Amino acid sequence: MSSDLTPKIKFRLNGIDMEKEVPAGWTLLRYLREELGLTGTKCGCEIGECGACTVLMNGKPVNSCLVMAPQIENASIWTIEGVTPPGGTALHPVQKAFIECDAVHCGFCTPGMVMTTIGLLLQNKKPDNSQIKQALAGNLCRCTGYIQIFEAVRLAAAMISENDMRPFRENISEN
Amino acid sequence: MISVESYKRPETIAEALKLLKTGKFGIIAGGTDVIPQMRHTPARSLLDIGKLGLDFVRENDNTVEIGAAATHSQIQNNPLIQRFLPLLSTACGLVGSWQIRNRGTIGGNIVNASPCADSAPALLIYDTKVVLLSSQGRRSVNLSEFIKKPYLTVLTAKDLVHSFVCQKGDDSAGNSFIKLGRRQAVNISRMTIAVSLVRDDSNKITMAKIAVGSVFPTPTRISELENKLIGQIVSKELFDETADLAADLMIKASGVRWSTPYKKPVLIGLMRRALVGASGIKEIPA
Repeated sequence: MSSDLTPKIKFRLNGIDMEKEVPAGWTLLRYLREELGLTGTKCGCEIGECGACTVLMNGKPVNSCLVMAPQIENASIWTIEGVTPPGGTALHPVQKAFIECDAVHCGFCTPGMVMTTIGLLLQNKKPDNSQIKQALAGNLCRCTGYIQIFEAVRLAAAMISENDMRPFRENISEN
Repeated sequence: MISVESYKRPETIAEALKLLKTGKFGIIAGGTDVIPQMRHTPARSLLDIGKLGLDFVRENDNTVEIGAAATHSQIQNNPLIQRFLPLLSTACGLVGSWQIRNRGTIGGNIVNASPCADSAPALLIYDTKVVLLSSQGRRSVNLSEFIKKPYLTVLTAKDLVHSFVCQKGDDSAGNSFIKLGRRQAVNISRMTIAVSLVRDDSNKITMAKIAVGSVFPTPTRISELENKLIGQIVSKELFDETADLAADLMIKASGVRWSTPYKKPVLIGLMRRALVGASGIKEIPA
């Protein structure tokens, strides 16, 4: 039964409309991982420092560890699971670019890196190096040293078309 | 793990004020401070202000009013704020990471009342008033009086911060905002300096506003420095003396502490740099 602690809300997740009772005391991160089984979004620091839990909320990267589950009401959320085009046989160009550039080592930060990269390319099709660094400053990687990751973002920018980005554009406001 | 006792997400301000009147609720907006804090506190009742429409930015005659739930990203990118409150746009653009700026709100930054809140020195430059609502009505408090001491404001459990009313900055002012941290992003400010200066054709300073964070116990305007500058001709000596005075005032307020050997020269250096930056003069005459 819908109550204070389990409000029934509507939201869109990876392009699919949902109406669910969500646990009010849970973060979005916990809800995604423990209730919906979407474990691609990683749980790192849980205080908004590491960016491993980054998802898109109305087209903008946010730390899902710092969003309460009821706050996604009427929002569009994209997680790493939704990035691969439907069918599950192909990868998204941003994912291909990360593989191509060896931008993945242990892989723990990768889902967050990919989500922030998509957020950046939604706003800015041709980011320069400093814009890339600034956008990814909230995503920590303890393996690669970032060089390959920045290369992957540049390669992704060169490869993507508007078609690859369109799904993520729902509910994007000005800022 | 965090837990909550109850979670309310009212649709109207009236409903929110009625809930706040019980004194039982803690307010949550962007959650970027509240959620990490909840990891160390017992379960709380939360009042989420996300549906109250408090994310507005609007222009009045001499002021710009910013809703308490406007995010740092929104403020950074808002054309009205970029034009009339440029230091605030810069300050909010330096908060945390992109992810944090997309959620964290200006209301939260001020209510948290950290000595190093990035938006506070910028808001102080624009003589900001904080508009508070409660079931008793509406009142407005100068930001300089709103923050009483580190992490404490005049806010009671029954109050809701509605908005910030900022005086538009002088169009002809030169502005400089410096944030010092251990890295370029996702840092807690070690020191912040905001300076706004207007000079006439003869390089005489006609308006000076200076505010700092993490120098005094709360973010503060420094009228002693402003008074020293107004009416003077820009010179290296003037800026050097002003920066030295800033350090003297800091030590007078807090005493010599373990951090003083670091903070004193850093404050002097950054204050000089901020003054030069705001003066808009590349080669400052000796």
